[in-house]
Amino acid sequence: MKRWWVRPLVRTIAALALPLAVPLLLTLLLWALPGDPASIVCPPENCTGTEALAERWNLDQGPMHFFTEWIASAASGELGASWRMQAGVPVADLVYESVPNTLALIGLAFIPILLGTVLAALDVIHRRLDPVLHLLGLFPAVILAVIAAAWKVLTYTEFGGETVALFLGAAVLGVADGAFSGAVTGTRSVASAERRQRYTGVGVLRGETELSNILPNMTPALVGQLRARILHLFSGAVVVEVVLKIDGLGDLLWQAALVQDFGLVLPVATVFACFSALLLLAQALAEAAVATWIRWSPSGVVDGAA
Amino acid sequence: MTSRWPAIGVSAVLFGLLLVLALIAPEFLSEPNLDLVDFGPGSMPPFGADDRGRPLWELAAQGARVVALPSVFAGLLVGLFAAAGGLIRSMDLRWADSIVAAFGEIVGAMPRMVVILIVALLLPRDWRGLFPLAATWAILAAPGAMDEAAAVAERLGGARFVEALRAHGYSSWRIFVVHVISYNLRPVIVRQAAEVTMQVVFLEISLSYLATSTDDPSFTHADSVRSWADILHLGYRALAFEAPFMHALFLGLGLVALVAGTTIGLGRAARAR
Repeated sequence: MKRWWVRPLVRTIAALALPLAVPLLLTLLLWALPGDPASIVCPPENCTGTEALAERWNLDQGPMHFFTEWIASAASGELGASWRMQAGVPVADLVYESVPNTLALIGLAFIPILLGTVLAALDVIHRRLDPVLHLLGLFPAVILAVIAAAWKVLTYTEFGGETVALFLGAAVLGVADGAFSGAVTGTRSVASAERRQRYTGVGVLRGETELSNILPNMTPALVGQLRARILHLFSGAVVVEVVLKIDGLGDLLWQAALVQDFGLVLPVATVFACFSALLLLAQALAEAAVATWIRWSPSGVVDGAA
Repeated sequence: MTSRWPAIGVSAVLFGLLLVLALIAPEFLSEPNLDLVDFGPGSMPPFGADDRGRPLWELAAQGARVVALPSVFAGLLVGLFAAAGGLIRSMDLRWADSIVAAFGEIVGAMPRMVVILIVALLLPRDWRGLFPLAATWAILAAPGAMDEAAAVAERLGGARFVEALRAHGYSSWRIFVVHVISYNLRPVIVRQAAEVTMQVVFLEISLSYLATSTDDPSFTHADSVRSWADILHLGYRALAFEAPFMHALFLGLGLVALVAGTTIGLGRAARAR
């Protein structure tokens, strides 16, 4: 028999390792580039005091020293300071200001996706709508975001504000790049495969509902799909936040990448890694819960049959 | 049975258009001529002028040149990965399957745009361009493509299918290349490759648009070259500020539709009969 706990365990280990692996990889990559990191960040021909800055930023004693110092500070909530974008400003402040906006954006964008998933699982959305959904899903986030940004500018005096930008951004993210259409077709494909199984027909003959029979078996696949879709939302959030001028993590990462502010990119990427880790943990928990429930449920049936 | 020829014809024509645009792209744009600034397609065929009076077709052609090779390269790379995923499952190489699964878990754990921005940040300025970003995107998309191709190979019967063909005395080339890849995995490989090609084009537009909107240099091309994002930015100004560039918006959307149409056409053309 296949060991059901292997996948959740691997995901849990990956979730625990990810917030450490991402900053470590970034640090090693910085050191792998031609030239020493301090000179990359502060080229001697452009700025003075490279050596002093290297010492201040822990860049003078190799990648492992930098990484261990940074991770120890990060564990206590101290994420260092911005090197270039807003030189000297604590990164933690910038991150704490940005996280709520990004989470609100992702949360709002997740509503249509969840709705699509539920409606497709219930087989409510007709297949004739598929061409319309596919057409809608073809639009890349940047195109819809541009249209939304133009609309926001045109109606600014009437509606205005960050809240409108958030709702517009969420609408864009929820539809663009096949987010909604993918949720519908992906869920429907999993659900219809389970509906065709013999056990579903037997369950219906016993007077049980179709959904109650297929739900436990399709939950792990659905949870995996939903995790991928949330990651996709985080990816699209970078574009949407910049175009719609939402002060979120994606916007912060973009600004930092433009000016090569490694002191800001490292913590922001680590925060993204933490969110990814949480999603991995949620998937592992869901898989473990479903596997436990499936193994626990039939015991009475076997006893009764005996 | 639906004929695939219309889809093949449409995708070939659209893809040909994209390549022709890339081939005829001028190295440098025409000199600005402020007298022609608000000229539409009627006054300056075929697409009108930009905000400096330069022909928009030059921007469209330069944008096509920026995306053509890197996006096709990324598509081919993902196609190769998908073929490898299908072959691994057909050969029943469990260790390789496990490695692919682990690779997928690691690569798929981070949002793609975050990884792309980190790669863009870490690239030395001399190496900046769409090629490394397209290759990164292809690697990030590879696990999904491999997984889907492996699922198709599994439905086909996996190693048992190969064993059955061996029993017929078929050579390895005929089994794996002709039957497994060409007859059975082709729809998945072509669709995945076409989709990633499209995604890389959209990635370029996104990254360049973000840079254009903040007046920063793009990660994907030299400052002397214009991208399709510049055309879309003119379109944004037409929408938001009623600037006289509505023709640029239609051209930008038309170029996006050209790429999307090619992708859909290729996917349909490669469908199993």
